[in-house]
Amino acid sequence: MTKWAIVADLRRCTGCQTCTAACRHANATLPGVQYRKVLDVEVGSYPEVQRVFVPVGCMHCDEPPCRDVCPTTATKKRADGIVTIDYDLCIGCGYCIVACPYQARYKVSKAEFAFGHNPTSSETQRYDKRLLGVAQKCTFCSDRVDEGLAQGLTPGVDPRATPACVNACIADALYFGNTDDAGSNVSQLLDGNKSFRMHEELGTGPNIHYLWDEES
Amino acid sequence: MKGDGGAGQFQGVTPWLQTAWDMRAAGNFIGGGTGTGLLFLAAIAALAGGGSPLLVVVGLIAVAGGLFSVFLEIGRPFRSLNTFLGGRRSWMTREAYVAMALFPLGLASLVWPAATPFLLLLVLPYIYCQARMLKEAKGIPAWREPAIIPLIMASALAEGAGLFALLTAILGRRLPPWALLLLLLALGLRAGVWLVYRRRLASGGAPTRVVPKLARFTPPFLFAGHAVPLFLLVVAAVLPSLLAPLAALAGVVVLLAGWAMKAFIITRIALNQGFAIPVTPVRGKRRKGVDAAGTAPGWHQ
Amino acid sequence: MTVPPSDKRIPTYCYQCVAGPDLLTVKVSDGVATEVEPNFAAAGIHPGDGKVCVKAFGLIQKVYSPYRVLTPMKRTNPNKGKGEDPGFVPISWDEAMSTIAEKLAEVRVKGLTDESGFPRVAASFGGAGTPTQYMGTLPAFLSAWGPIDFSFGSGQGVKCTHSEHLYGEFWHRGYVVTPDTPRTNFIISCGSNIEASGGVCGVHRHAEARVRGTKRVQVEPHLSITGACSAEWLPIKPKTDAAFLFSLIATLLHEVPRQRLDLPFLRDRTSSPYLVGPQGYYLRDADTAKVLMWDTVSGRAVPHDMPGAVPALEGTFPIDGAIELGADDERWEHGRVEGVTAFTKLVEHMREFSADWAEGVCDIPAKRIRNVASEYLEAACVGQSIEIEGKTLPYRPVAVTLGKTVNNGWGGAECCWARTMLAVLVGALEVPGGTIGTTIRINKPSGNRLESVVPGPDGLMAYPFNPTDRENWVKDPNMRNAYRTLVPLVGNSSWSPALGPTHFAFMFLDDPPEHMPRGTFPDVLFVYRTNPVLSFWDVDKVGGAFARFPFSVCFAYTYDETNHYADILLPDRTDLEGLQLIRVGGTKFQEVYWDSTGFALRQPVVAARGEARDFTDIATELAARTGLLEKYNAAINRGAAGLPFSGKNYDFRLPVDRQNSVEEIWDAACRAASAELTEGRESQGLDWWQEHGFRTKPFSVLNWFLTPTMEAKGLRYELPYQERLTRIGRQLANRLKEQGITWWDRQLEEYRPLPHWGDFPKIWEQQLIEVGGKPEDFPFWVVTSRSMQYAWGSNAHIPLMREVAGNIKGHDAVVMNRQAAEKLGLEDGDRIEVRSMVNKTTGRVLLREGIRPDTILMTAQFDHWVTPVAKEFDVASMNKLTAMSITLTDATGSAADLARVAIRKIGGRR
Repeated sequence: MTKWAIVADLRRCTGCQTCTAACRHANATLPGVQYRKVLDVEVGSYPEVQRVFVPVGCMHCDEPPCRDVCPTTATKKRADGIVTIDYDLCIGCGYCIVACPYQARYKVSKAEFAFGHNPTSSETQRYDKRLLGVAQKCTFCSDRVDEGLAQGLTPGVDPRATPACVNACIADALYFGNTDDAGSNVSQLLDGNKSFRMHEELGTGPNIHYLWDEES
Repeated sequence: MKGDGGAGQFQGVTPWLQTAWDMRAAGNFIGGGTGTGLLFLAAIAALAGGGSPLLVVVGLIAVAGGLFSVFLEIGRPFRSLNTFLGGRRSWMTREAYVAMALFPLGLASLVWPAATPFLLLLVLPYIYCQARMLKEAKGIPAWREPAIIPLIMASALAEGAGLFALLTAILGRRLPPWALLLLLLALGLRAGVWLVYRRRLASGGAPTRVVPKLARFTPPFLFAGHAVPLFLLVVAAVLPSLLAPLAALAGVVVLLAGWAMKAFIITRIALNQGFAIPVTPVRGKRRKGVDAAGTAPGWHQ
Repeated sequence: MTVPPSDKRIPTYCYQCVAGPDLLTVKVSDGVATEVEPNFAAAGIHPGDGKVCVKAFGLIQKVYSPYRVLTPMKRTNPNKGKGEDPGFVPISWDEAMSTIAEKLAEVRVKGLTDESGFPRVAASFGGAGTPTQYMGTLPAFLSAWGPIDFSFGSGQGVKCTHSEHLYGEFWHRGYVVTPDTPRTNFIISCGSNIEASGGVCGVHRHAEARVRGTKRVQVEPHLSITGACSAEWLPIKPKTDAAFLFSLIATLLHEVPRQRLDLPFLRDRTSSPYLVGPQGYYLRDADTAKVLMWDTVSGRAVPHDMPGAVPALEGTFPIDGAIELGADDERWEHGRVEGVTAFTKLVEHMREFSADWAEGVCDIPAKRIRNVASEYLEAACVGQSIEIEGKTLPYRPVAVTLGKTVNNGWGGAECCWARTMLAVLVGALEVPGGTIGTTIRINKPSGNRLESVVPGPDGLMAYPFNPTDRENWVKDPNMRNAYRTLVPLVGNSSWSPALGPTHFAFMFLDDPPEHMPRGTFPDVLFVYRTNPVLSFWDVDKVGGAFARFPFSVCFAYTYDETNHYADILLPDRTDLEGLQLIRVGGTKFQEVYWDSTGFALRQPVVAARGEARDFTDIATELAARTGLLEKYNAAINRGAAGLPFSGKNYDFRLPVDRQNSVEEIWDAACRAASAELTEGRESQGLDWWQEHGFRTKPFSVLNWFLTPTMEAKGLRYELPYQERLTRIGRQLANRLKEQGITWWDRQLEEYRPLPHWGDFPKIWEQQLIEVGGKPEDFPFWVVTSRSMQYAWGSNAHIPLMREVAGNIKGHDAVVMNRQAAEKLGLEDGDRIEVRSMVNKTTGRVLLREGIRPDTILMTAQFDHWVTPVAKEFDVASMNKLTAMSITLTDATGSAADLARVAIRKIGGRR
């Protein structure tokens, strides 16, 4: 079986937002639409303060609440765990947005571009009007994963089969792989390190795992 | 640089007010609640021999108005028929299914008043669907709180009964005692469930910023929306000559309070979950004595 | 996303900051650039595994910005001023070049220098050498031209780690100093924000180190990105880092057994055993003037180079007959005299700087200071060794790093000394795991640190000081900032003018101090990839100067605050449009030390927009129109384009008598690069490089460490005792006194054998009083912090950068301690005015826990008023608040990004 997941090593992440920028490029999202982004979180009070950078985005949950509420079945979960949106089915009701406890979904009703109303040549080239007025979110770069697999590549290992954010991460804080494969990069990282998942108590079964210490 | 301010745009780490659903979405819960509540009473009235097409018409209009309101909110209205595809899981689809039965039956009951009581079979599922829609919005703590289900249903009953009282007065009829009883019952139920709902949210069920909002909303809501109509109804009970106008007035207040409550829940306390880390990462080594506990910004720590 | 067959991925590089280059590819669809990606082929070659920094992702918007200047422009409004509309109108390239050539021809007729001896042509380039990676063959034109004044700064000194540049290069050829991050296990980081300033290599390496277990202690007034990623944060009072570091040294010297230090290193690789006489200079052999040491084998004083001698590290020894050589003609002849080792002098000197003393100065508990000292010593692995490439070297995995503001301005020199001494005490200087330098800019050959190690006097390394002796001191400044006159350590390399007190070039235009010539306005000024009217300090003063430059030419990407005053704007091809080959690898700035070396090509990924011209074409045209073509071409052939075009087995030199096209020039460069990398065997030209993007060959990791070379050459590091600098400084004092100059007296105090604690924060208070302020009226310190998304990038006008930087707290607001703010009645998001004695700035306040109550933080200095996009930001800028002042200038000519300020609420939350 295959279950794609991201492992984010919080010890490594510096919040540089290279993943955010790479995601914006790879998915040609409109300004402000960040499928992947890194939070800047303060913990404690002066002078005992820590600051943690936390990459977030769609968690491709085992039990995605967004899928459960979707009235159109536009949001689906693939056999490999990736939660997808069919932009041609979605009516843009926004229900999935409020169902997602990770704030991972966006809906843009009116296109504004980097420099205002008029797109640049690059934006014109990549503008996808199917995304207007519908829900959108991280796809785990499923097209790269699928294309890569079709070419015999291993997602998470071969860049051409790996999500753009993972490829771009300069701190090697992001990993992508199959948690159902005990020998995969991500499984081994999870075996060798302590990890948590966000809002696990909500029962969503999120598939971004956060490493925070080595297994003692 | 936050996109078009559309839903879910990044606004930081602490929970922020969702913007995916605004008053247009609240309108559906208002119309749907009031409409089904009224249809409920219309059906009972029909059973009790006091039915009126007006009640059914107003009830259906309220439900339809709610649906139209949410239609205005969706990004791709011309695809709205796709709403029917998600019946396996989505309470929104199920609401649509029920609506599809509700309107023919409602219209049929205008032609064959004997069909009116059968509305009971649909209005309860309809309002339950609406309540479950909020409950399943896992991203919004103030909605996913289980008490939202009885709250929405109790309010629907209260709103329906309130509107029934008003329409009865307009029709120049006498308010049947069972309707008065239902109104009082719904009023008490709504106030009671609200107190439970509020307590659950305030004791860790919602982000901390919700708590003062609840504290500000609750007194006027309970006083103006419940105590005042209760007082009016008690006066009306003592002075039967004034029953119709006082009950109508009380009904309007109860109705408006229900609408205010829904607007409040949908557009004021609908803060999202925000983000949290249960533990902080080790950077190289952890200094002795340093607390490893994480944080849930915007939540009671 | 999948690349359809019609799409291409084109390799190029990004060098928007000194932590570059990053190698990347750009996806191009139907001639339009759409996506930036790492160049995956560079994995395993580039130390950051071939990844590319966030800034590079902004380059596509840079190409397609609607605000670009796309034709040459000329000013039509002769009046220059902030409130004047320049009235730029498009002109042809021919008109633009003719106008410039005419001005340059006038200069050649009048003479290259003016009546004051200053060059009539000046140039201001930003970003610590990054413009060179984009300016093609302009260096060849500059070289062909003759004297050019590079001393009008755009941030140098106040915005860089200036003390380290000078002292680091002096002590260990470390113009830039870094840990040997791949091996180090413990880092004391005073204000260094390596996670934001170290680029991909820095971030990648330190992430690896953290997961390996490397502990870093961040010492800084606020919890920066680097603080966040560190094991421990010590919120130190601003500008007291020297006291903290002194106390670590004192703890190591006075609270731990001496044998735990690296005594052999101190004895054999440093000047610690040199004997100091009563006048504070080294005791020397009367005949040979060689410095004396006490030989424990023979029991007598011997010259420092006596074979077989085992010098005493500590102690006071009776010497029969010795001399001391002081400043100028000072000479003391001693009969019987007591010689004290430099190390003993150090031990005694440091006694007063205990951790308990430092606690009161730095606001850090003494216990934690002692813990840091103890952990540092423990982690130093004194006595251990490591094998690298078959060679056994000392293994000392501890390092101390210094950041901006710690490392420039008053106290910077002391911090540099203390940092280097901390390395020296445990033998961790320039060895695996320790504190190492990565580049040189004052010594030669600039491409090879190890080769720059040549013997100087007294068994120490040579250093190209600006002379201070009577005969050779440069009394009359040759450039407007007087760097040769005032700063011996800055030397006289091609970088030196821009390392001098660059603010003096502006200050002396109007208000030269006593006995210093008034600066003249250069006839022609070129400005490239810099915006000093916004990014320097006391920016209104800088703007005032730019308004009076008679003729300035700005290479312009968009309108900005500096080219607002220009006469001609020239649009050059941007990063993804131009063609250039650069050297990569080896050891260079920040953490850019590679185990390979070679070249990378920047190439037109897309067609240039508008009439933007390749920089190389512009340079060639300038050379042709000024009659300098032959010299220009010869300079290119010699290496001004980054590498010589001929070598042992190859010759790709271009004809010198004609205008070679940009493709011809870089094709020859590519061929020469191929040949250089293969010792002449291969000669692939531009086509090959356009396809592959880069090529390298192995570079031995042993080259990262200077100590083995010092050992091989029998040289000692000039630490701890600064006899030579003291002499030079006293001579400089004599020269200045002879001229009647007294305004540099305080700076002269920096020249002393062992540094002292000069209560550095107080200097800012004194300066306040000097200009009529009261310290109590300005109770806060304002500091800044590096932003990875913006640093050096000249990219504030790129919306993507603004968007992603917004995810990092502090880019949009003034960061302030929550409790301190509450005392002032401030709430998160309130609008505040921050005022210094110089000026005021306004912005929103962001309340955080990770900052000292007496300090506020302004990360971004974005109060643009011309630059499109950025002028909408509404962010406070401390560049308005920092004073250009001789009082705040240290002996190296730098000041710090630091000011005393007052805060006032002027509005509520948004």
